[in-house]
Amino acid sequence: MSRLLISFVFVLCSFVVESDTWATGPHIRVDLLSENQNFTASGENWLGVYLQPEAQWHTYWINPGDSGEAPQVKLTAFINGQLDEKGLVQFGKIHWPLPERIPVAHLVNFGYSQANLLMLPVSISDALEPSDKVRIQAELSWLVCKEDCIPGWATLTVERDVAEQQFASIDAPLFQKSRQQWPEDELLTAQYELTEQHIILSIPTQVEKLQNSLFLFPERSDLMKHNAAQQRVKVEGASSFVLEKSEYFSAPDEPVRILVSDGERGYWLNAKINTVPLHSNANMSLLLMVIFAFAGGLILNLMPCVLPVLAIKGMSLTQQQYGKAVHFAYLLGVIVSFLLFAGFILAMKQAGQNIGWGFHMQEPWVIMFLCLLFTYIILMLLDVAPGTEALMGVGQNLTSKNQFQQHFITGVLAVLVASPCTAPFMGVAMGAAMVSPPGHTLLIFFSLAVGFALPMTLLQVSPALIRFLPKPGAWMDTFRQFLVFPMLGTLIWLLWIFASQAGIQAQLVLSAGLVLFALTFWAKTKKIQALYIVCGLLSGGLFWFAQSEPEASETQDIATESTWSEQRLTQLRNDNRVVLVNMTADWCITCKVNEQVAFNNDSVQQLLKQPEVHYLVGDWTNKNNEILQYLNRYQRVGVPLYVLYAGSDYKKVLPQILTPQILTSAIKEAQEAL
Amino acid sequence: MNNFVRFVKRSIVATLLILPQFTFAAKVDAPAPEFSLLNTEGQEVALSDYRGKYVILEWTNHLCPYVQKHYSGGNMQGLQKKYTEQDVVWLSIISSAPGKQGYVDAAKAASLTAERGAAPSNVLFDPEGNVGKSYNAKTTPHMYVIDPEGMLRYAGAIDSIKSANPADIPKATNFLEQSITQLLAGQAVSDKMTVPYGCTIKYKG
Repeated sequence: MSRLLISFVFVLCSFVVESDTWATGPHIRVDLLSENQNFTASGENWLGVYLQPEAQWHTYWINPGDSGEAPQVKLTAFINGQLDEKGLVQFGKIHWPLPERIPVAHLVNFGYSQANLLMLPVSISDALEPSDKVRIQAELSWLVCKEDCIPGWATLTVERDVAEQQFASIDAPLFQKSRQQWPEDELLTAQYELTEQHIILSIPTQVEKLQNSLFLFPERSDLMKHNAAQQRVKVEGASSFVLEKSEYFSAPDEPVRILVSDGERGYWLNAKINTVPLHSNANMSLLLMVIFAFAGGLILNLMPCVLPVLAIKGMSLTQQQYGKAVHFAYLLGVIVSFLLFAGFILAMKQAGQNIGWGFHMQEPWVIMFLCLLFTYIILMLLDVAPGTEALMGVGQNLTSKNQFQQHFITGVLAVLVASPCTAPFMGVAMGAAMVSPPGHTLLIFFSLAVGFALPMTLLQVSPALIRFLPKPGAWMDTFRQFLVFPMLGTLIWLLWIFASQAGIQAQLVLSAGLVLFALTFWAKTKKIQALYIVCGLLSGGLFWFAQSEPEASETQDIATESTWSEQRLTQLRNDNRVVLVNMTADWCITCKVNEQVAFNNDSVQQLLKQPEVHYLVGDWTNKNNEILQYLNRYQRVGVPLYVLYAGSDYKKVLPQILTPQILTSAIKEAQEAL
Repeated sequence: MNNFVRFVKRSIVATLLILPQFTFAAKVDAPAPEFSLLNTEGQEVALSDYRGKYVILEWTNHLCPYVQKHYSGGNMQGLQKKYTEQDVVWLSIISSAPGKQGYVDAAKAASLTAERGAAPSNVLFDPEGNVGKSYNAKTTPHMYVIDPEGMLRYAGAIDSIKSANPADIPKATNFLEQSITQLLAGQAVSDKMTVPYGCTIKYKG
């Protein structure tokens, strides 16, 4: 009984009058059209649902906005009167023309206030003969609204013969016109970031070809507030939009599709979340990354930090014969070391640390250790320190097991000395490895290791290759001494990095420590016992001092007024100043938008120039532990973060989206709190 | 005296509601915005009157096809009966402004309830639209569930199929029913917020 009643009401409220190919409902007429008089297997066939609402009435887009409903089209094919069970006729998706924004009170709908043709592609199998008749049945439902809404339903059909050649139907011009209202074919890639209440979308530069008044139409209805203003900000020639999150927002796990339109033309954007600092590399294929890593490993052999160690190793090969297993000990040593590296990085990532490649170069104590290592190698090359023999694997009484160990250790050492050179050199592939799934990271590191170990391993395995090496002789000593110079170069570079991290005073202490360290070995070889002990103790003390030297007192000398550090912040707060902290990164779209909109504003600049106001910028472009700890203190794992302080008591976290008004009033408020 | 206190309390509530309309915007798992509206008898009904009970809010407009979808086959009335019998309060709210679709006077509202066999605890009038806006109500129907502590626990569509076709009702997941069932069983609501569907509420202006 209730079913009957339902169908009765259903029919009553639709009032649809229909023929085969068209139907009318209140305030609308709907037609099912075909672009051509016939269907062909070779060419494109298009069907169209032509919705013609009365003046002031409208129908909807795929996302209807705050209310309403998109038209639904369900197509079924019949061939010569029989249901097409084999799927000889296939249908594509609706191609939606550019929609309009239709405001209704304070809400907004997306749709069409004019007649609109929703086109669907139809493909016909070539198994069909020219005499076959294809009938397509469309079950349609629509909603037509002014302020009130009236739903309608109809089942329409269109029948066409299959033919060799296409002939346009009288409706073809409508299809042509509709195509001009489509978004461009090119699907553009965009990036977005999320803050508590906003979506910040950076759009590709192609969109700048459109006219100035752009509007964004999201495909999903739970992405952004449809009725909210869409603020456009230009940063360095490219546009970003600040959009309000929908109250129904839940973080999408896949890219979101957003249509950007100037009313005449538009583009579909495939927007991906920007969590990765290396956008340009994020899409690199795994194979390419593996090849890059392998090639990088090969080239690494020639780097000034590695070449000397390997050259000595190579020279020793001409003098020795080893067992089979020993051949691969070096390779094994290299692979194990690199995989340990990778494992450590993965473990840190697992623990929630967002570390990037070269992270070890950001720790002053690692740099110090490397300085020591390189100094030692220099001393070794100059025969001031022992170890050449061990390195070359030509010591006396080396059993085969010992040889294996020696070669393995050479492999480990090679990786250690290579590590400062990988950071600047291997950036691309390693950066990609950092953001790949764990399996990929391991694979990339493995490939790097194999590439790195390959030349030496080939030399070991193939006596034929050894023949190409120059004969041993007196030149070897000269060459070995020459190798000191690339090592010195590497040492200078390391000291320079150390200075930028720990300050020039710490660098001075470290350099003095290295001189004493060298002197210690010299004293030992010359058997000057007292000097040996004194220098050893002194250099040890200096290293401890260089490493424990508080960073801030040094960094102040080289840092500009606006570089953030924990000490600087504490100091300014103790001095009872107003401090605005801006934690930013080069890859952060939201940060750039805020800097453009709020920080570059004249009145904000004026306020920041006042003597009692200090503006500190922390750059998180490369991971920095100090900044990470600071972010964590505010329950953040990323940038942007804006905090305003006044003296040691007042502190206020500002929103992630700033306006000049928010900033100026916050600064003034902080000044009053002093 | 009691009445006076009540009057003062309501006046404060009403003022608060009018002043910062949007600052009270409803959030799930946060206190539901307080309101006080007239019912078909001309009495004031406040949300706080029902503290201690589950409250369902239903935004409605009897001329909207999406509302008709749920009333024509008795779906909405069935839910109203089922839950009011379990001591849940059901408030149907009309935010249509005078002169717009769905606006009715008290007499007409009462007769609609009788004709359709509806069983809400109260039908309330919000012609200024302030309560609707404070709940961010967008469509008719738009459903809300408030727990005995006054916390909003569900906001969104009545069910999962966005259509005006009554034949879709049995195929859809009824989000309202799901939320209430879970709450009554002491469980967390699995879909706390869904995108509502239907006609735009015919707000003033």
